[in-house]
Amino acid sequence: MNETSGPAVLAEGLVKHYTGRGDATVEAVRGVDLEVSSGEIFGFLGPNGAGKSTTVRMLTTLLTITSGRAEVAGVDIARDPDGARRRIGVALQEAGLDPRQTGRELLVLHGRLFGLSASAAAERAQELLALVDIEDAADRVTKGYSGGMKRRLDLAAALVHEPEVLFLDEPTTGLDPASRLTVWEELRRINGHGTTIFLTTQYLEEADQLCNRIAIIDGGLIVREGTPAALKADLRERRGDGMEPTLDEVFLDATGRTRARAAGEVQEVTA
Amino acid sequence: MNATIMLGKRALREAVRQPDALFMTMFIPIFFLIVNTGQAAELFPSGSTDFLNGQGYGAFQLPITLLLAASFGMAALFLVEEIEGGYFDKLRAIPIPRYAMVLGRLVAEGAKCIVIASLIVLIALPFGITIASGFFGFLLLIGLTALWGVVYAGFMQLIALKSRSAAATNSGGLIFFPLLFLTPNFVPRDMLTEPMEVAATVNPVTYLMEAMRSLILDDLDWEKILTGFGVVAALGVVMLVLNVRMIKRYD
Repeated sequence: MNETSGPAVLAEGLVKHYTGRGDATVEAVRGVDLEVSSGEIFGFLGPNGAGKSTTVRMLTTLLTITSGRAEVAGVDIARDPDGARRRIGVALQEAGLDPRQTGRELLVLHGRLFGLSASAAAERAQELLALVDIEDAADRVTKGYSGGMKRRLDLAAALVHEPEVLFLDEPTTGLDPASRLTVWEELRRINGHGTTIFLTTQYLEEADQLCNRIAIIDGGLIVREGTPAALKADLRERRGDGMEPTLDEVFLDATGRTRARAAGEVQEVTA
Repeated sequence: MNATIMLGKRALREAVRQPDALFMTMFIPIFFLIVNTGQAAELFPSGSTDFLNGQGYGAFQLPITLLLAASFGMAALFLVEEIEGGYFDKLRAIPIPRYAMVLGRLVAEGAKCIVIASLIVLIALPFGITIASGFFGFLLLIGLTALWGVVYAGFMQLIALKSRSAAATNSGGLIFFPLLFLTPNFVPRDMLTEPMEVAATVNPVTYLMEAMRSLILDDLDWEKILTGFGVVAALGVVMLVLNVRMIKRYD
């Protein structure tokens, strides 16, 4: 792994506009500034449609940036996208796997595409299959894998080239609690080896458990940023009731949502 | 180039693991060969039909059979499945040349077409169809079929990349499919009605079909052969430029 000095992820005034039919412009991300230090697990939270996935897709070179700039592991992603791709691992919201390849074939192919020799790619695939505990299913096509196995293989594919920064977009969505805990353990282990993790999640408990720092995005803008403890302390101070808030409460406060609205715009109806 | 070959090998493995798709690719064209020959063979007896050069009507139908088989490639559908499933983005996050992501599938499509076209010709031989231009002509015939398969798959890939939808990609095929039939596929061009002759003359597939037919019915007629290769090469260049442009702008 190539260690770089400076932030692992740096975004300055990141903006993404989409032009729809009739020239209507959608401002998905409206000026995001972020700095993630090397070795951190950074949580990126926000309600649906807040701009989380769009930001991750820009940072991982999958979407062009409308304006602003970003660096990953010291590489400007717009100027040198391939340089950035060599330093990052990506596991997106849907576990994107080729349904007709076996787990082993998929990992070997990724290793080869990242420039490993045939023998090195085979060896690396074996290591990763063991790491994510799918050795038994390694030679089965991925179409038959369970949701948890697909997630773990997707994670392994993102690690083939030992990236400096790992981007994970909702890595545990749809997983049962046991599989979720397994993924958490993997992430801690990967982070323990020095890999910076940039994680989006809708599960606040996950962010609380895993992340050193979090940022909350709403309406395409960062509305809170800090350590979970600092964000809770800030809310406790502002509420002045001496009660320790949960991260859920911090999230609801930051996004201007109430529990009732978050539950689905509950309204009182009188006869 | 390495990435193209690796992705091509993967696409071939994918095709082998979907044998039902390969079966349909061969079954439907052979079905049409049998039905069309059965329906029209008596109208065009080999002894008294000049344009058959002494062969049966099946030999005249073989080019459309080969072109049909080459046009049933699954590359675009597999690609769109990958786009919808998210694996395409996974590949886009790897530092490989963008063109490799479209070329890999096309290389595999070409290899698949070589096998399928060779099998169809081998199946046709016991039924009295011969390749009048000999073994070299057979190689040219298979080469032309494979190149058409690559070009057709490339245009279908464009629809897949643009629409990112399996339904749209399937429907998009219907736009190109009539091109195969606005050709002199039942009789030579000079025997078509005037509107059909005009349509066939402006249709590039006609020249490909006539080159293939000349390889089956005549000795090596280089004018027709080079015209056929020229047309498929020109279409191929247009297809490649559009594919590379599309993948580079894919957002």
